[in-house]
Amino acid sequence: MMQYTGRSLGLLVCVSCRATVRRSPGAQLRCPRCRARLHERKPYSLMLTTILVICAALLYVPANLLPVMHTITFLDDESDTIMSGVLVLLQSGSWPIAVLVFIASIVVPLLKILALGVLLYSGWRRSPHHRQQRSELFRMVEFIGRWSMLDIYAISLLATLVQIQSLAFVIVGWGAWCFAAVVILTLIAARTFDERLLWDSSVHERSRMGGSA
Amino acid sequence: MSSVIVCPACDLAHRAAPRERGRTQCVRCHARLQRRHDANIDTAVALAVCALVLLLLSNAYPLVTMQVNGASSETTLIGAALGFYAQGYWSLAFLVLATTVLAPLLQILALLYVLVPLRAGRRVRRYQDLLRILTQVRPWSFLEVFMLGTIVALVRLSGYAHLAPGVSLWACALLMLCLSGLTSITSPEQLWYWVERSRAR
Repeated sequence: MMQYTGRSLGLLVCVSCRATVRRSPGAQLRCPRCRARLHERKPYSLMLTTILVICAALLYVPANLLPVMHTITFLDDESDTIMSGVLVLLQSGSWPIAVLVFIASIVVPLLKILALGVLLYSGWRRSPHHRQQRSELFRMVEFIGRWSMLDIYAISLLATLVQIQSLAFVIVGWGAWCFAAVVILTLIAARTFDERLLWDSSVHERSRMGGSA
Repeated sequence: MSSVIVCPACDLAHRAAPRERGRTQCVRCHARLQRRHDANIDTAVALAVCALVLLLLSNAYPLVTMQVNGASSETTLIGAALGFYAQGYWSLAFLVLATTVLAPLLQILALLYVLVPLRAGRRVRRYQDLLRILTQVRPWSFLEVFMLGTIVALVRLSGYAHLAPGVSLWACALLMLCLSGLTSITSPEQLWYWVERSRAR
């Protein structure tokens, strides 16, 4: 069965208002309905996403090794990394919260970086395999990404509330900055990645393009 | 032209009649092709007004009050972002402020500014740009994550201090529900359906 795509029919979808627009020759095409810039595919999608994911992967290391906060009380000073924060929650007896933070702060960012890596690889290679699964992987990355901000919000509240001089106060560490950067970079990477690249040059379309060339 | 729908996720072209009700799915990648656009514009305006009131409430009252050995400290929603600022992390402060206060506020104000005149069949100047900005800002509103982060912080402190949730915490929880309802009924398809209906009149 022949499958027609927007590209083969010369139709573009506006990313902003979802209007279908006929492609016309011209330097800058704008959506006639909402005036958003129109592109057949997101510009420099693979290049930008690759750079963002590499930066996120590099920052993932200091994000997990550097302390995210120092707690200073009159008894002692304590430095917490993300992992030791999870252990503190585990020891205080609230294991469901500990599991939640572990998943949101350690598992999800790592999985996101790995998943984006897989998607980029198949994007660069134009791999025709497992398209449906990869599309679902991408949608999962898009959906769960925001939940990694959990720890940043928890730290911001702790740093604001625990400011009782002479008793206890919390100082934010650079680990928190690195961690927030990882989360934001992967969130932007998921937005610069064009899901349609996973489906481009399928067998049917290729035969049609080959025929017209 | 209107009988062709192109899947935004995999670019497959579908021959389809425009539908007002029900949802359509891409036959190849199963992405949602078109969201339903049968919501009432009054519902959207009511939800937006409600969200605005809740947003003001959640910033006017303390989120949590903490008491340890007679000393106490409290914070508001904006105060949580300022905690990072006070320690020199202005980028983190901006991140928290943008995702918990500015993004929801911008979303609510842009919707009200466009929808209230649209109810009367009038379109404000540059409404296209506002609706476009709205769809760009929307994915950056992380209020539900902030609520969960608050719970995590409270659990961590619960062993050491007496904690009292403030008015703002409840307002925040309601705001979260209100915003998710608002977001789901004001999809881009729905907003542009209202705009086009007012043009047709």
